Amino acid sequence: MQLRNFFTPTWAVIAAGLLFGAYFAIGELSVGGMLATNNGMIWTLPLVTYIFLALMSTGVSIVLCHGTLTQRDEIMRQQRSLLVLAASLLIGGFVALGTELGSPLHLFWLVFSPNLTSPIWYMGTLYSIELVLLLVKLVRDLQGHHGRIDQSLTWATLGVAVAAALMLGAVFGTVTGRADFHGLHASILTLTAALASGAAVIVLTQPSGGLPQIYIRALRGFSALMAILLTLRWGYEVHSSVVDLQGWVTVWMIAPLAVVALFGGRLPRTAAALVAAVSLWVVLAFVITGQMVTLGPMATWYGAVQAYRPNLAEVGILVLGIAVAAALFQLGRQAWLSSSPQAGR
Amino acid sequence: MKYAMVIDQQKCVGCGGCILACKAENNTPPDINWCDKITRTSGTFPDVRFEYISTMCNHCDNAPCVTVCPTRAMYKSPRGLTLHDPDKCIGCKACMVSCPYGVISFNWQTPHREWQKESQLVAAGTFTPREMLLRAGGEGNPHANPERGVSYPVLRARGTVEKCTFCDHRLAKGLEPACVEACPPRARIVGDLDDPESEVSRLIRRYDGTPLRPELGTRARVFYIRSYSPERRT
Repeated sequence: MQLRNFFTPTWAVIAAGLLFGAYFAIGELSVGGMLATNNGMIWTLPLVTYIFLALMSTGVSIVLCHGTLTQRDEIMRQQRSLLVLAASLLIGGFVALGTELGSPLHLFWLVFSPNLTSPIWYMGTLYSIELVLLLVKLVRDLQGHHGRIDQSLTWATLGVAVAAALMLGAVFGTVTGRADFHGLHASILTLTAALASGAAVIVLTQPSGGLPQIYIRALRGFSALMAILLTLRWGYEVHSSVVDLQGWVTVWMIAPLAVVALFGGRLPRTAAALVAAVSLWVVLAFVITGQMVTLGPMATWYGAVQAYRPNLAEVGILVLGIAVAAALFQLGRQAWLSSSPQAGR
Repeated sequence: MKYAMVIDQQKCVGCGGCILACKAENNTPPDINWCDKITRTSGTFPDVRFEYISTMCNHCDNAPCVTVCPTRAMYKSPRGLTLHDPDKCIGCKACMVSCPYGVISFNWQTPHREWQKESQLVAAGTFTPREMLLRAGGEGNPHANPERGVSYPVLRARGTVEKCTFCDHRLAKGLEPACVEACPPRARIVGDLDDPESEVSRLIRRYDGTPLRPELGTRARVFYIRSYSPERRT
């Protein structure tokens, strides 16, 4: 890896993102109070950044594991690249989460002080295990170790990835007293968003040139799945008489996904960018809408229903999470993929 | 023994004395109330009804905040109180999202930071807040009640949640919670729900006391009896 490889437009954009995001993250970690939050609007864009990146990582892991277990040549050739991508996204998500929690050390405290009834504990622990499994697989691949244990590792990674995405939904689905959160649909939504956004980021990070058809098929298929799920939810919201249900699905979320599902093969990278953006929007809308109706005395402080708009600091943390993921992926690509004999493998 | 509270809605006049007493006792920052109120206006003119419901942590038997807390910072005490250990709190705020009553608050910034200011209200004429704090010697603010520190930090840390403890430090000494003691019309009664002859048990039986949002199955331990009606006021 040569120094001149860092003087590229890609690294300039990443560095700008890191600096922009780090400014706000340091401010939030040291002084606090920079986010557009209050005691009624509790989880906002920084947490959504974590959810978005973690789900994206999950989607990449699921595609990779499925491809490896079913011996898909196009996917197995890119195993190292996909491992680096999944791990980078997850670390980027953890950076955003660490900022939201007020200290990166809180992530460790969460895992090592278990409450076995808490969905958040399971979610955090599963994603930590997922990161360890991805790194173990990556190290084994870099060292050229390939054996029977790899299949077990792949099955474990797949199982943990699916469970982690479902558990992330359960964090919201098990909430009582908030009409927009409660229910099994939250877990189905997070798993579907993981698949769609994971396929999207794989397409977006493919090197220029030939784009394997399997990824385009995955992108279109998962977009169709998400469009169907959102349509069902939209139908439920339209006909619902549940008190305090605000509803978070709009036609403008469904339409782009339907277009990608039908015509995504023509401009796959544009389609992938669209799916990634819609996935972020869906997760943000879901998380925010569930908190819009303020509960109990908080309604006296903030009004019965709150509006939310992310501020610059929150956008900064979104940028930081994405920039960290991009930096790690780019670093991995330069170190292990471009100059090695296994380049692109 | 399991503590519970009864709030008599017919006696409550909405004076907010409970809120102020709680603030003084527990050193809550200006933007956080452990004891708070829900106000509701319903109906159309001239048949308008205004409701004032005094509220705080309901110390639920089946507390969602305890279930979801990943680090067990929220826990149930042997006497049924839902308590919080700030040393274990990582600031994930899951308890706040899960609490269906909206009575858990977060310290987004350092509590009582206004007492660290070095600017004078009147130049060369008054103390700065920081000077006043140093002279008075309070922890975090000059009015801080040191007795609170027996079971919970007097000055809480940024990045952690806080909520009503039913004044566990006072209950331990055989005293009533500050809100109960301060209530002018004695609209609040605290006692042992396990004892069928306690005043809270008798009032709940007599007036069919119900907690807030009972349909959620949280088994809250703050019960409300009667509702305000001028005709019934004696």
